[in-house]
Amino acid sequence: MPTPAEGAAAERAIVVAAQRGADDAFSALVRIHQRRAYAIVRAIVLSHEDAEDAVQEGFLHAHRALDRFRPDQPFGAWLYRIMANAALDLVRRRKVRDADELPESIPMPFRDPAESGELRERLQEALTHLTTRQRAVIVMHDVEGFTHGEIGRTLGIPEGTARSDLHHARAALRRLLQDIRSTP
Amino acid sequence: MTHDRWTSGDAELTNALRALYAAPTEERYWDALEARILAHVARGDEGAMWWGELMEMVRPGLVAAAALILAATLAMVRSQQIEARSAYASVIAAPSTLEASSRGASVGDGDVAIHYLLSR
Repeated sequence: MPTPAEGAAAERAIVVAAQRGADDAFSALVRIHQRRAYAIVRAIVLSHEDAEDAVQEGFLHAHRALDRFRPDQPFGAWLYRIMANAALDLVRRRKVRDADELPESIPMPFRDPAESGELRERLQEALTHLTTRQRAVIVMHDVEGFTHGEIGRTLGIPEGTARSDLHHARAALRRLLQDIRSTP
Repeated sequence: MTHDRWTSGDAELTNALRALYAAPTEERYWDALEARILAHVARGDEGAMWWGELMEMVRPGLVAAAALILAATLAMVRSQQIEARSAYASVIAAPSTLEASSRGASVGDGDVAIHYLLSR
């Protein structure tokens, strides 16, 4: 098991190889980061399908901008910022397209249909009432375990704003779901 | 229940959030997504290259067209200037003839009038 420093050095070598045009090096970067990238964009967009689109778009932007990346910086932080921007772009495009309608239900493949219950459906609906950033913050924090600082860096907002968004998102969800939660 | 903290009573909600946002766990899903990402990147780069090549090919044509438009504009401006100059010159020239003729006419008329008055 490599130490974090060894891991960072190995990744730096892969990034440099990718910058020199080695396709297999870029594939390795995709393999290393795609799960985390998916988690970030999934926190921002409303559906699994949009998350897949945003991840692909994010990696395309990263590939095009790779020669501008300085290898002494943490690659993950740089990539995840690009991912968040790709997801936010997609949300903006969807808002323009679907200005008049919100989806009644969001298709969720890879889920056990037996899992679906009233709380799940109501939660899905309640999440659409949060702002995009509030939704991203609560999911990144409570589901993915990001710290406020990591959320701030990824979304390009101050840490205090991430804290405040988290507070407001939780309060809104409590309010929207108070009638169905088993715990008062 | 306090609204300042995410209390233990909210565990149900957190669990529901985690279930809703859980990423696919199957390895083959991630293998397939990786392949799709790489294909998307390759397509995007091809598109960018195609566009770049097209721009390379089109650039001399665009430069020639811009030069042509510039030359045509200059020629048009010059011909307008020449037209304006000749129109101005004709306007300046015209009053002298009119003036002369009108002066002649007025002198003649004056003479006639004086002759008429003196003859009475």
